[in-house]
Formats: sequence, C-alpha cells, structure tokens
Amino acid sequence: MKEPLDDASAPKKPESKMRVVREETKGESKENYKLKLFVSYLVERGTSVFLALAGLALFVAFWSFISKYTKEDLPGPVATLTVLYEMLRDPFYDYGPNDKGIGLQLMSSIGRVLLGFSIGSIVAIPVGILMGASAVYKKLFYPIVQLLKPVSPLAWFPIGLVVFKDTGMATIFIIFITSLWSTLINTAFGVSSIPQDHKNVAKAFGFSRMRYLTKILIPYSLPHIITGLRLSIGVAWLVIVAGEMLSGGTGIGFFVWDSWNALSLERVISAIIIIGIIGLLFDKLFTVIENKVSYKP
Amino acid sequence: MSYLEIKDMEISFPTPKGKYVAVKEINLSVEKGEIISIIGHSGCGKSTIMNAIGGMVNPTGGSVELNNKKIKGPGPDRGIVFQNYSLLPWLSVYQNIFQAVDSVMTCSKKEKIEIVENNLKMVNLYAHKDKLPGQLSGGMKQRVAIARAFAINPGVLLLDEPFGALDALTKGTMQLELLKLWNLNNRDKTIVMITHDIEEAIFLSDRIVVMHNGPAATIREIEEVHLPRPRNKLEIVNMPEYIAIRDRLLHLLTDKFSIEDMGHMHKN
Repeated sequence: MKEPLDDASAPKKPESKMRVVREETKGESKENYKLKLFVSYLVERGTSVFLALAGLALFVAFWSFISKYTKEDLPGPVATLTVLYEMLRDPFYDYGPNDKGIGLQLMSSIGRVLLGFSIGSIVAIPVGILMGASAVYKKLFYPIVQLLKPVSPLAWFPIGLVVFKDTGMATIFIIFITSLWSTLINTAFGVSSIPQDHKNVAKAFGFSRMRYLTKILIPYSLPHIITGLRLSIGVAWLVIVAGEMLSGGTGIGFFVWDSWNALSLERVISAIIIIGIIGLLFDKLFTVIENKVSYKP
Repeated sequence: MSYLEIKDMEISFPTPKGKYVAVKEINLSVEKGEIISIIGHSGCGKSTIMNAIGGMVNPTGGSVELNNKKIKGPGPDRGIVFQNYSLLPWLSVYQNIFQAVDSVMTCSKKEKIEIVENNLKMVNLYAHKDKLPGQLSGGMKQRVAIARAFAINPGVLLLDEPFGALDALTKGTMQLELLKLWNLNNRDKTIVMITHDIEEAIFLSDRIVVMHNGPAATIREIEEVHLPRPRNKLEIVNMPEYIAIRDRLLHLLTDKFSIEDMGHMHKN
C-alpha cells in the first residue's frame, strides 16, 4: 500500500508470488506440503537433540577419563548412576535425623528457598518500586544496597543465628538476604525507565495513584521484576547448598556434606546432578512467566 | 473574552546554563468551535504552547484561560492526542479508551461502557476492540488515540502533529475522519493542532498561527482561512484564496533557509 503507484516494479511482485504459490499447489497436494514442513521441523529438532546428547557424551567421556586417571578415587559414571538410581528408588525414607531420603532433603531445601525468597521478594519489590519512582528513596536506599550487595550471603549466617537462635531460621534468613538484591535493582530499573509518553497519558487523563500503579507502573515494569526474581531464585538456589553445609540438620547441602564425611563421592556427584536439574527447572519456570508477562510495544 | 485566551504568555525552563526561554509574548484568542493550526520549524515552541493549553507545563509569565478560568493543570475539558499515539501497549484498544473514560468521567459504569463503545464505532474500530496496540497499523493507532480524546468529551481537542507519522494516503483519510468527527459534534469542539504540513493546515483550519524560530519564539503571523466548509481537497486547491494562503505560508516558512542556503530559493 505504501508503494508509489507509478513504480514500475510494484505490480510485478504480487504476480510472481502468485506464480510460486500456483506451482507449489500444482506439484503437490496441501497435505504433502504440510508433511514437508513437519519433516523439516523434525529434522531441526532432531539436530539440536543430537548435538545436546553429543555434548553430554563428551562430558561423560571426560568424567570417565578423570575417574580412570584418579584410579577410581573419583567414581565413574556407571558407579555414580547406580547409586543415583538407588537414591531415587526410595527418595522419601526416614531413618532418623541423620539418614533421610534424597526427596525429603530436597523438599526441606526447596521449602527454605521458597520461604526466604518469598519474604525477600515481598520486601524487595515495593522498595524497588519506591527507589525507581522517587529520587528521594533512591538516594535513601541506594548506598546501602551498593554496600551490602557484594557481601557473600554466608557472612550473614552468624547474624541470623544470633537473632533467631535457630540454624534453620538462620538459613532462611541468608536466603532472604540473597533474594533481595537482583529483584530490588531490576525493579528499580524497570520503574525508573517508564517512558515519558506513558506518564503523559496518566497526567493528561488525570489517572489516580492507584490507576497509575495498576495500569502503567506494574504492567510496564513486570518483565523487569520477573527477570529480577529469576536471577534472585537462581542465586538463592546456589546459596542454599553452602548455607545448609554450615547449618547441618537437613537439606541437600547437608546431604552433600554428610555424604562427603561418609566418603561416598557417588552420592555427592548424584546430589550435584539433582541440584543442577532443580536449578534449571527454577530458571525455566521463571523464563516461562517472563514470556507470559512481556508485551509487544 | 474568548473561549480560549492566551495572554502575553512566556514559558522558560531553568537549565544549567541559565534560563532558557522557549516562547514569549504569545497572545492568542480562540473562539468555541474554531480549528486552529500552529505551524513552524522544529524547535519553535509549538509543542510548548500546546502543552501549556493542555496543562502539562505551567507558563512562567502571562496566563492561559479557558472559559474564563485559569488553566493550572491537565483537565477533562481538554483532550490530548499525542504525537506518537501514546497508547498503553499492554491494554486492549477498548481498555485504552476505557481507562481514560473511567478516570475522567463520573457517570455510572454502564454509561462509561456505552461511551467507549460509541467512540470506538465512531472511528470504525469496534471490530478491533480486543486487539492490542501492537497489532494495529499506524493509522488505526492514531484513530484509537483520537477516539480516546473524544471519549472524555472535552471542549478543546489538542492534537500534536497527529498525522505526522502516517503515509500520505492514510493521512488524507485521517484528516477527513477528523473533520467528520468535528461535524458530528455540531462543530462544537475547539481544535488546536500542531502540524508541519502547509496543505493540511489550510485544509483543516479556520486560522493558522505561524511561529518565528526559537529560542524565545513569538507568533509571527496569523493567517485566516475563509475557504467555505465543507471543504473538498480537489476543489479548494484551485481556489485563488487557497493559492494565496499557500504561497504566503511557503514564503514565511522558507525565507529563513534562503538566507542560509545558497540563495536560489529567493524566487519563492
């Protein structure tokens, strides 16, 4: 439509397109064409799956090599996977405080992460919104954020212990601290980058504070907030392992440390694999939410 | 006293280098139902005047009065159509208009829904009401923005280069649409619009305000357009008055370049 009418090349384009379509429909039926598309999709998917498996195979080969090199001090893939299979066959057994199934350990770790992460997010999102929306709040909080953000969350463990007098609570506390920063900074960034155009709409049509918050501020910054949450839960999942090594008792981190003390490297490596998979799932979950809430400008 | 009265208005902004005067000595009286265009080069303070009428900025000197009341901020008596549509991309076409109506109007929810639907029908977008702005063409987006401004039933409609981003064909259609809406309202609404387009200004306006170049821009001249309404684009272009106004505007808007450039534009 935007093409000038006197352009001599303009009428040719649709004609040639039509010819292509005609040739396609003449040569083969519609089903055939669809089948062809499906096959090319399968080939594409197949190639990526094949490459992923090839990468995995390379890794396993390297692992076997190191295992052979250390004269089986580091257990090889077969020994490890046998132990992993045993662990997964009965994940929920409970033979007292020092012998619980991997499922129970994971559940207590995930529970702590979700609890600390939720409380952290409930604090971080509103504070981030304030920091993004007002220069005063930014000046008020930003120096503290800059100072505390680079501190390893584990350094907060003693403080948690003193305040809560409980190792479980102290672990949740360090997860809470861990979950603050990425969410806070991303939320503040999202809110502070709301375009003037959107603000003008609110001003011109006299939007109330509530309407501005629910119809402009939150929808605009939601993708940024979710990105912050995704980064936060990723770090929280990193930190829980170290935290539970310190706190002991239950959890996947404790499981890793306990297995090391029992000199069961098979269990340690199995736990690493499980930790990786759960971390991946957390990340995927938030990526899905991120895609859900993002909008086309 | 006119409906919209700008008296000796000056607008300046503080900058690190000192006071920057955008416009000064602006005097303009607009009657109810008039269509006024403001035309001038980039940076001549057109948008600043518009923003002052809209209440988005406050004059640092003089005053802007609407209906004998001093303008202190944005209000439901003025509807603004922004240059880049300014629709909220996460809200449907319907919601974009509804949120404005819901914010401004005090009537019942049922009446609000009726207002939104009527305005959507008026700009022929009812079938697209559930689409997001990202799924619309530029012309359709601008129609949503115009419907939104009309929906709050303002006395004054402010249009900031409303058709600047549209291709020539769509632009022509949209100009007609605007006049149609104005007619449907018994030519009751006052329209103030900014434009770069001389033909558009003549086709639509009763008067055309030509600005001097900024900074500290002033009004250079106000051209009256007495072409009979309803105007037909094909007919008016051959009228002597149309040609006279167009030549006058061309002269006012191009002579600055003839000095700076090589001089070959002096023939204008």
